[in-house]
Amino acid sequence: MIDYASSLFSKGGRAPSRGVACALLFCVGFAPTLVVAIDPAVQFHGFFTQGYSYTSDNSFFGSAAAEGSFDYTEVGVNASARPNKYLLATGQILYREAGAADDRVDLDYALLDYRGHSTEFVDAGVRLGRIKNPLGLYNDTRDVAVSRPSVILPQSIYFDRTRDLALSGDGIGFYGERRGDRSVLTVEFNVVKPRVDTDNLEPILLGAQRVGRFEDEPSALVRAILNTAEERLRLALSVAAVNLRYEAGPNDVSDSGDVLFSPRILSIQYNAERWILTSEYARREFEFDDIAYIPFDTRTGESFYLQAQYKLADCCWILGRRDVLYQDIDDKSGEKFEALTGGARPAHTQFAKDWTVSLRWQPGRNWLVSAEHHWVQGTAWLPIEDNPDPAQTVEDWRMFLMLVSVWF
Amino acid sequence: MRRHWHYLAVSRVVTQRFGSLLRKCAVRCALCAVMVSFCPVLAAQDIVVNPSVSQPSVAKSTLRAIFGMRMRNWSDNTPITVFVLRNDDPVHTAFSKEVLNMFPHQLQRAWDRLVFSGTGQAPVVVNSLQEMAEKVAATPGAVGYLKRDMIDDRLRVLIVQ
Repeated sequence: MIDYASSLFSKGGRAPSRGVACALLFCVGFAPTLVVAIDPAVQFHGFFTQGYSYTSDNSFFGSAAAEGSFDYTEVGVNASARPNKYLLATGQILYREAGAADDRVDLDYALLDYRGHSTEFVDAGVRLGRIKNPLGLYNDTRDVAVSRPSVILPQSIYFDRTRDLALSGDGIGFYGERRGDRSVLTVEFNVVKPRVDTDNLEPILLGAQRVGRFEDEPSALVRAILNTAEERLRLALSVAAVNLRYEAGPNDVSDSGDVLFSPRILSIQYNAERWILTSEYARREFEFDDIAYIPFDTRTGESFYLQAQYKLADCCWILGRRDVLYQDIDDKSGEKFEALTGGARPAHTQFAKDWTVSLRWQPGRNWLVSAEHHWVQGTAWLPIEDNPDPAQTVEDWRMFLMLVSVWF
Repeated sequence: MRRHWHYLAVSRVVTQRFGSLLRKCAVRCALCAVMVSFCPVLAAQDIVVNPSVSQPSVAKSTLRAIFGMRMRNWSDNTPITVFVLRNDDPVHTAFSKEVLNMFPHQLQRAWDRLVFSGTGQAPVVVNSLQEMAEKVAATPGAVGYLKRDMIDDRLRVLIVQ
């Protein structure tokens, strides 16, 4: 049923998506009145975010060099209900436009959560359906502006390139929480089929569009979060093994084969009354098995960021962040890669180092305005759809981003 | 050892000489504390529940899970409905800081994570303490917080251990 629903959305999504977005907006406006009418155990929530991007060079979210763009919209509506004391049913529909990279309506998640075990200090349960992938501190709500610390999440870890793989998967998830006097431990374990957008993955993993296609294979994700009792300190470890299979087409230059993508993310966050300090470190391992015409068999990428948020007043936060990404830890400068590709892909496509300064202003209870500036060296996380020719990208570039978001 | 003994001897002398003064001081401090706690601005918040809730007390870690919207049922398996005031309400700030030892921005982010990832629901936000009292009194399984002087017999105080 979930597969049917999602295919319905993604197939019908492209052309009429503006219309659907308007319909969603309509829902956003009228949902609160519905909430009153139905049982309090039924809730409706949603958000609408409109962004603006301006880049000195390269293209991000639809901006051309030195030309601004409004091609960045996120709309979501969700419903949740508690049909009985053991069950929680939730679902969210998401429309997202981000430059050329995404323009469609999707079923973001739809799941039944059965809380089988619930005592004063231990909770455990199982989720069934389309489940958000538990990765790092922000992946679960990466498309919801209010839950992001800045206009865009640190791209070294939350980049859009393999976005569909990262979002959610169809399958089963187990979870448990143990509450002690000093700490709370939460563990999630999901076995899912990742969402695979083969048109999006081929240029990234195989270097170009091919005749064959990527298929999803069962994949596993684990996240453990340890919070001190008052959540001053949050520690998380996320480990995933995402399996993909490439099925070669007729006269394909690539053979059929398997790809194993295993990201590991270590997260740490400290919360004070006026300060939030956050850092995440990730290693991303790619293993290519039998697929010809890829210049390497295995590859390990590395990402990390350090982020400080300071509360100026109840309404306003300021943020500073250093964010670094290397596609290959054995070739941080990218020079080997440039040589391997005969100069077709410049060295600077293999790393990205970003300084960000961001302001977040919440003038009212349910809306926010956020603006930020990025100074970036390297193009490793630039969306390929927006920048089809890597040779045309510029190594040192700047970006201004802004968004307005409302939610309920 | 000798030095230690020496300190004890001195402290005994001090207690003998200034004992009555110390006692007076302690009594005055206690009086002050009582007066402050009855002062309406600084009144402590109590956790109130609908009388249908059978459990008499709750551990602090459990209370954080309840207001963090991670715990869905009471120990007798009846569903919990959580009521809170708006984030910018001083009573909410005082409640989250003094009772839960958390900052309102932490609670808000935890709720947003649940609501937009499909793993939980948001608490019901009320606009005033009067509304809080009405709603908690009228909703089975409800929990909220109130100033001590607003608690009447339609509500029961949940003891935090």
